[in-house]
Amino acid sequence: MRNRYILLVMLLILSFTGFSMKNHTDTKRWVVSQSSSLSVNGSTNINTFSCVIPAYDKTDTITIKSKTDKGVVLSGSIELSISSFDCHNSGMTKQLQKTLKKKQFPALHIRFLTLSSLPVMTQKPEPVTGMVDIEIAGVNKQFGINYQISQDSDNVIHLLGSRDLNFTDFKLIPPCKLGGMIKTKDQLTVAFHLKMKTI
Amino acid sequence: MKKILTTGLIAGCILFILSYGGIFLGVRFFPGLFVAYDNPLFNSDGNRDVLFYLHAFIISFALSWFWDRFKSLFKGTFIMRGVEFGFVYAMIALLPVMWISFSSLDITVVMVVSWFLYGLAQAIIAGLVFAKINP
Repeated sequence: MRNRYILLVMLLILSFTGFSMKNHTDTKRWVVSQSSSLSVNGSTNINTFSCVIPAYDKTDTITIKSKTDKGVVLSGSIELSISSFDCHNSGMTKQLQKTLKKKQFPALHIRFLTLSSLPVMTQKPEPVTGMVDIEIAGVNKQFGINYQISQDSDNVIHLLGSRDLNFTDFKLIPPCKLGGMIKTKDQLTVAFHLKMKTI
Repeated sequence: MKKILTTGLIAGCILFILSYGGIFLGVRFFPGLFVAYDNPLFNSDGNRDVLFYLHAFIISFALSWFWDRFKSLFKGTFIMRGVEFGFVYAMIALLPVMWISFSSLDITVVMVVSWFLYGLAQAIIAGLVFAKINP
């Protein structure tokens, strides 16, 4: 009888240890570094524009919650201040900020939801796909994104992604000037380069 | 009064075609001049487009009244009278407005100069029309 109790206790200890080890191996945290950047590229009928947030002014983390056969579940988001956009032309910068309704919605959010896989990190960029939830001007929309993921010699993880969006996806009206003679096209390309460290 | 309205309407139709045709061609062939208009200073949601396109008629009716009131002061051929009328309008109305616009708004020199020349051209064309049909 006593041996049975000892066996039961040992099994319990082993099972708890097993769980904790599993969690330890599955859960990773990536800290987004301040040198990360985001750009928004678009065009009008007279020119193209490229607006950038050259440096990320917060320290957010992305957590790899679990790995399954279907992919990797992530949690975490980045918050980008609309005021940080720089279009290399003060008028255009103000126009983009107005179009994105800076006064009512001073930040845009990108929430990372999934990755198709988590490849072994090397210096060679590996293509992966994933889902993100983008919130602009108070409107959320989920998108699939094609990423390139790699890790450099300093163990910095580089996650590059880009996606074509429309102003109208977020119920925003592309600017139209001089009675419609200057029109901003609805489509935008959002590209980001996250530099992260594992903790 | 009828003459003022008639000449104003005729000049308005001519200016409408020439002014907006000119802007359309300018946007198409000199796009660099219009990049600065991508700025929140300029209305962008389209709710004032009708007012924008009515400008040709507003300036035509105003100039038609001005011409009818002071046409006796402009001497010479109809071309001379029309051109002088345009310059008078540019000096007494456009120049001070452009001056205050440039000094108070975040706009470029190119923008102000182009507005001045655009207004001068509109007034000369309107003056030629008035000198011809309401001498």
